[in-house]
Amino acid sequence: MADACQVIRKQDLPPPGGYKPIPFKRIPAKQYFSGYTLFAGYIGMTIGAIYLYNLTAQRIKKHEIEMRSSKMAIYPMLLAERDREYLKQLRRNRDAEAELMKDVPGWEVGTYYGEPVYKLVPQDALVEPIFHEYYAHTNPSDWFRRAYIKLRS
Amino acid sequence: MVVTNNVVLPEESELTVEEVNLSTATLRAGSFHLGKYCENQNNEFMLCRFEEQDPRKCINEGKAVTACTLEFFRKVKKACLAEFNQYANCIDKSSGEYSFRYCRKTQDVYDKCMLENLNLERPPFGYFCEVRVHDTKRPKPPVEEKAVYPDATPALPEDAEKKPARFGSRFYWMTE
Repeated sequence: MADACQVIRKQDLPPPGGYKPIPFKRIPAKQYFSGYTLFAGYIGMTIGAIYLYNLTAQRIKKHEIEMRSSKMAIYPMLLAERDREYLKQLRRNRDAEAELMKDVPGWEVGTYYGEPVYKLVPQDALVEPIFHEYYAHTNPSDWFRRAYIKLRS
Repeated sequence: MVVTNNVVLPEESELTVEEVNLSTATLRAGSFHLGKYCENQNNEFMLCRFEEQDPRKCINEGKAVTACTLEFFRKVKKACLAEFNQYANCIDKSSGEYSFRYCRKTQDVYDKCMLENLNLERPPFGYFCEVRVHDTKRPKPPVEEKAVYPDATPALPEDAEKKPARFGSRFYWMTE
């Protein structure tokens, strides 16, 4: 029984020369700039950035003005062409409505059985129809294609 | 539709004229000189359109605009076709928005040709964004007068007695 306990046991002890000292002292990070330098740097960089931003903003603004000038120069021509086609289409729409409703007794074109939509405007006034009325007699696929451009953009 | 038979619409034959059959890039390339060349017609048409607020009343002005545009592009075709095509091609293919900023070299060539042959100068920067005064012979449309109603509440007479305010002021919330 006693022989079984004769194992050499190693005791847990400090290494030779003792433990290293515990590093409990605060080691602050190395400071490259002082606080005032940081403030000055921030202001300097901001001023530099504002300068560069303004250069770009001026460039973009000039570009926008040039593009707008160009569009305004051709706008009267496009509007004149559009007006002519628009009036032609209004006449086509009115003729189509007359053709469609010719069998309905009492129906008058542009009114609901003789009752006008707008009662206070002069009889000859041209009230521009809304999109759905303007496209009422077209092919539905044309309607949807146009509506996708006009009403959703 | 709201357009009744009483509304006078112009006949189709009145509205049919030769239209400007050109692409956007071409129109944009010629836009500055075009705006200068047709300035009078354009201003006349736009003034009419915005004063009258009715496309039917400005048909003739619009036809003048289209005729002038056609005349301008015919002149360009006769005088500076190669330079113009080069410039329009550059505008068409350099960016997605027909930007002019990538085409300054071809623009210079085109401007020079226009100045030499047609004596048309490129208008100064932002010219068409500025307010321009136009003198026209067309009479101004009558302004709608303010409505007068016979049963309106009569105003106080001029010599009505005005007592001093009871609570020191007549601000609108002091409804004494």
